[in-house]
Amino acid sequence: MAERAPVRITGVHALSALGRGADAQLAGVLAGTPAFRPVGRFDTSARRVGVAATLADAGPLADELTEAVHAACAAAGLDTAGRAGAPLLLAAHGGTGVPALAGELARRCGLAGASRVYTSACVSASTAVADAAALIGRGDVDRIVVAAGYLVEPDQYALFDAGRALATDGAVRPFSAGRRGLLLGDGVAAVVLESATAAARRDAPTLASVLGWGRAGDAYHPCQPDPQGRGLARALGAALRRAGLRPEDIGYVNANATGTGYSDAAEAAALRLAWGEHAHRVPVSSTKALHGHALEASGLLELVVTVLAVRHGKLPVNAGWLGPDEACPLDVIRDAPRPAATGYAVSLNAAFGGANTALLVGAA
Amino acid sequence: MTGTGELPTATDGRLRVLAQARWPEPGDAAPPTLPGFVHSRFSPVVAAVADRCLTRRHGERPAPEPAGGRTAVVLVSAAGDRASADHVHATVAAGGRPGPLFFFQSVPNSVAGHVAARWGLGGPVVCLAPTGDPLAEGTAEAELLLSDGDADEALLILIEQAPDDAGAGVEAAVPGDPPGTAAVAVLLGGGVTP
Repeated sequence: MAERAPVRITGVHALSALGRGADAQLAGVLAGTPAFRPVGRFDTSARRVGVAATLADAGPLADELTEAVHAACAAAGLDTAGRAGAPLLLAAHGGTGVPALAGELARRCGLAGASRVYTSACVSASTAVADAAALIGRGDVDRIVVAAGYLVEPDQYALFDAGRALATDGAVRPFSAGRRGLLLGDGVAAVVLESATAAARRDAPTLASVLGWGRAGDAYHPCQPDPQGRGLARALGAALRRAGLRPEDIGYVNANATGTGYSDAAEAAALRLAWGEHAHRVPVSSTKALHGHALEASGLLELVVTVLAVRHGKLPVNAGWLGPDEACPLDVIRDAPRPAATGYAVSLNAAFGGANTALLVGAA
Repeated sequence: MTGTGELPTATDGRLRVLAQARWPEPGDAAPPTLPGFVHSRFSPVVAAVADRCLTRRHGERPAPEPAGGRTAVVLVSAAGDRASADHVHATVAAGGRPGPLFFFQSVPNSVAGHVAARWGLGGPVVCLAPTGDPLAEGTAEAELLLSDGDADEALLILIEQAPDDAGAGVEAAVPGDPPGTAAVAVLLGGGVTP
C-alpha cells in the first residue's frame, strides 16, 4: 500500500431522527432510546410494517444536504477560499437527477465542484470517505467534503417492505436473539476531511483522524453476505494495515449490523476471522437500533456517531437486545454506555453486491 | 469520450487495458435472461457485457487467482436502472406492492455483485453516477483503487438506459424497457501497456 499523509476530520454535521446537529446525535445515541415511530410522512397502510425513524421537520433532501455541508464547513472553520478549493463527494440513492443534485449542492455551498457521486447502496458514503482519505493521503487534493443523504420515502420503503426486510415487531435488535430485521431512518451528514498539513496551516480544529480504511467484495451473491464474512474481514484487515494498528488497539466497533438474522451473523464471523479472540472482547454496538438504517447515508451518519462517541469517551448502546445469539459471540454493549478504553474505533458497513468497507478513526 | 460510445485504447500510463467489450456488438439481439432480475434490461446487459469482457481475458469462469480475488467491479451509470425505478415508482404511487425481486434490483450493487460472484472477483464493489465524462470518472475510480492497494485489476462497466436512444441496434423487448440500452466493459490493470 502506498505511503500516505495523515487525514484529519475537521468538521462534521449530521441529521437523523435523533435530532439536528452533531450534539443531538451524540446525546441521542448515549441516551439509548430508539427513535422509531409510526410513519407520518406517507401512507404505509398497504405495507406490512408502518414504523421508521424520521425527523418530523426534515425538509427536501437537497435543502438538508445544503444545510449539512454549510454546517460542517462552518464547524471546520472553512472560509470562502477554503471551500472553493474543496471538491464534493456525494453519496445518495441513484437515479435521474442525482448527478445534477451533486452539481447544484457544490454550487450552493461554494465548493470546487462535484467530483463523484456514489450510488453503491449501503456502502456509498463509507466508500466515499475511503476514497477521500486515499485522494488526500496521496496528495491529489488538500481537502474534500463528503456529504450523504437519505430521507425515508415511499419507494424504498415499499421495496424493503416487499423484500420482507423490515422488522415486524417495530424494533431493531442487532446481534440479538429474536431479531427480525431492519427499520429505515433518516440520515443526512457532511464531513470535512483534509490533510494534516492543510489543517495545521490554517489552525483548524481536529475532531479525529482517518487512520485506516478498507474496501473489499465478497464474490459470493448478488444480495446475501458471505456467511463466513471473508470480504468484510479483508476490509477490516486492510484498515488495520493502513493504520499500522493491532486488533487489540481498537476500543470500539460501530457495527453495520442491521438486525437481520444472516447478515449480523456474517458480520460476527468477519470479526472473528479478522481479529481472532479479540473479536470476543472488543466492545461492539450498532447504532442502527437507535437511528435506523439510512441506506446510502448510513456510513457517514455512523462515522459521525463513532467519532463523537470516542471523542466523548463513551460508547453507545446496542438497543433492542433480547438475549445472546450463539451465532454472534461478541461483546455487545447493552444497558448503558460504556467508557471507551482506547481512542481508536472502527465503523463497518456492508451492502448488496457483497460490498464491504471498514473505516478506522483515532480520536484527536 | 463520453457515454458508452467509444472504447479506450490507452490510459495515462498508470493503467493498461487488459480486455474490453461492448453490448451490443454485431449479431447481438437481446441479452441473455438473468435469473432473479426482472422487467428491465439494465442488469442483463451489465452481466452480458461483463461476461464478454472477462471471457476475452480469462476464457472460463472463475477468474484465476490471484488476479480474481483482487479485481474490483466499478459500475458507472448516470441514471441507473430507469425502467425498474419507474416501474416501482408507478406501482407505489398507485398504492400497490412492488414485486420482491425489485428490492435488491433497485440498486446497481446487486448486478455488480452478481458479476463478482460469478467470476470470483473479490475486490471492492463501487457504483458511481458520473457528473461528467463517465469513462474518465470510472477510470479515475479504478486507478484510485489500484493505486491505493485494495485491488490489482478493475472491471469498469459503463451503462446507460437512454429512453430516446434507439441507435444501439437493440429493440425494446420488455415492457417498460427503453431501447438503446448500451454498455461498455473494460478490464484495467496497473502499469503501462506492455
